[in-house]
Amino acid sequence: MSQPLLQVVGAVGLASLAIVVAWRLGLGLARAIAVAAVRAIVQLAAVGALIALVLRVPALAVAFVATMILTAALTAGGRLRPVPGARRRAALAIGLPAVGATGALVAIGAFDATPRTVVPAAGILLGGAMTATTLAGRRMLEALHDDAATIEARLALGDPAVEALRPTVRRAVATAVVPAIDQTRSVGLVTLPGTFVGLVLGGADPADAARLQAVVLLALLAVELLAALLVAELLARAVVAPGERIRDEDELRRRGRSPSRACRGDG
Amino acid sequence: MSDARATTGLVAHGLHLARAGRPVLRDAGIVLPPGRVTALVAPSGAGKSTLLRCLVRLVEPDAGEIRLDGRPVTELEATALRRRVGLVAQHPAMLPGTVADNVRHGLPDLADEAVGEALRAAGLTEGFAGRPAAALSGGEQARVGLARALSRRPEILLLDEPTAALDEAAAGRIGTTLRTLAADGIGICLSTHDLALADAVADTRATLPGPA
Repeated sequence: MSQPLLQVVGAVGLASLAIVVAWRLGLGLARAIAVAAVRAIVQLAAVGALIALVLRVPALAVAFVATMILTAALTAGGRLRPVPGARRRAALAIGLPAVGATGALVAIGAFDATPRTVVPAAGILLGGAMTATTLAGRRMLEALHDDAATIEARLALGDPAVEALRPTVRRAVATAVVPAIDQTRSVGLVTLPGTFVGLVLGGADPADAARLQAVVLLALLAVELLAALLVAELLARAVVAPGERIRDEDELRRRGRSPSRACRGDG
Repeated sequence: MSDARATTGLVAHGLHLARAGRPVLRDAGIVLPPGRVTALVAPSGAGKSTLLRCLVRLVEPDAGEIRLDGRPVTELEATALRRRVGLVAQHPAMLPGTVADNVRHGLPDLADEAVGEALRAAGLTEGFAGRPAAALSGGEQARVGLARALSRRPEILLLDEPTAALDEAAAGRIGTTLRTLAADGIGICLSTHDLALADAVADTRATLPGPA
């Protein structure tokens, strides 16, 4: 048996062990673990083949990154219903900071401007931006409900709507960035992040791997903060109606179904 | 309507509003002239709070018209409208900081004397100014809500169940305060289900149809 095949068989054996343990303990997770394991093998095999193709045809790298942005926007935007245009807003919040940071890192020479380095780097930054977008967006939607009385008190006192929402936006952004801060401060002590592990397993010098990991982590801090800020501001603007008021959920749902008729606006 | 245009104060008529396919307001209206106290008396769920929120455009009705001194409120800046027409919620949310911070919200240059004046008008002493607003009792917070609205020197004041969190004596003081404010020319709408309070304080009564 070849060594790569042996590795796969060994990993499948470990997953099978998890399935058996889950089944014997009656956790109700055996099927879920099996499905997850099969999906992981199929998806990674497909991505491996696809990336191999992307590395051979550089023009495909742009399409690949665009697909990552689209998928991230669909994932995060799907969690931000009933806000109209949630996926479009999520795409902006995820894509702008992640692509901008990738470009900046290439510009300063942190990575080579080749698909082999740009695609994985963009993927890490897009993943972080997606997480921050989902967290900030969800927190915004919860806070719009939980803080409704306070927001309305500010509006009733004559605050413009964007001003009345500012404390809510700030708290949503702060909540969303906490995981990135914790990840950065605990790196090397609690976790060994993916870039570092991948490079070391691939035979890179650990010092070079650590340097690159630091660059990625620091970039992630900025990307996640900007993504959280962008989505919170975009959602704040989505819920503000003409007349300096906040749309309720019923209005948002109607607006999502029929953008031109949902809000009567002034008059 | 010509009479609506001619009337000073705040006038609403023909307001309709539906939410989630259910009517909330049906042909609702009210006339709030300057210097008079109007009691909005209706059963729970009839839409009293929603009507008050419509009057300051926190909720936009599906149909109907609201005019302030004869001018449609949609022609006014909403922020300016809300400084001319104050709304005090049934349980006003306290903003972070002290009572004075709450009264000064949006009016950073408001003098200490003006803060004290608003507090006294709402039935609180000046000693409350430095206390954390969030730590006050429900009744005290209701009066901070009133003081906060009064500090903007509104032409019309809308109060949603202002005595709901107060004992009888405190409710009586609020009633006296409202009469004093009306004597100063402020038009007042008092939403309540308390008929005795309405009779004691209001010049006129308005009502709404019951829930659909």
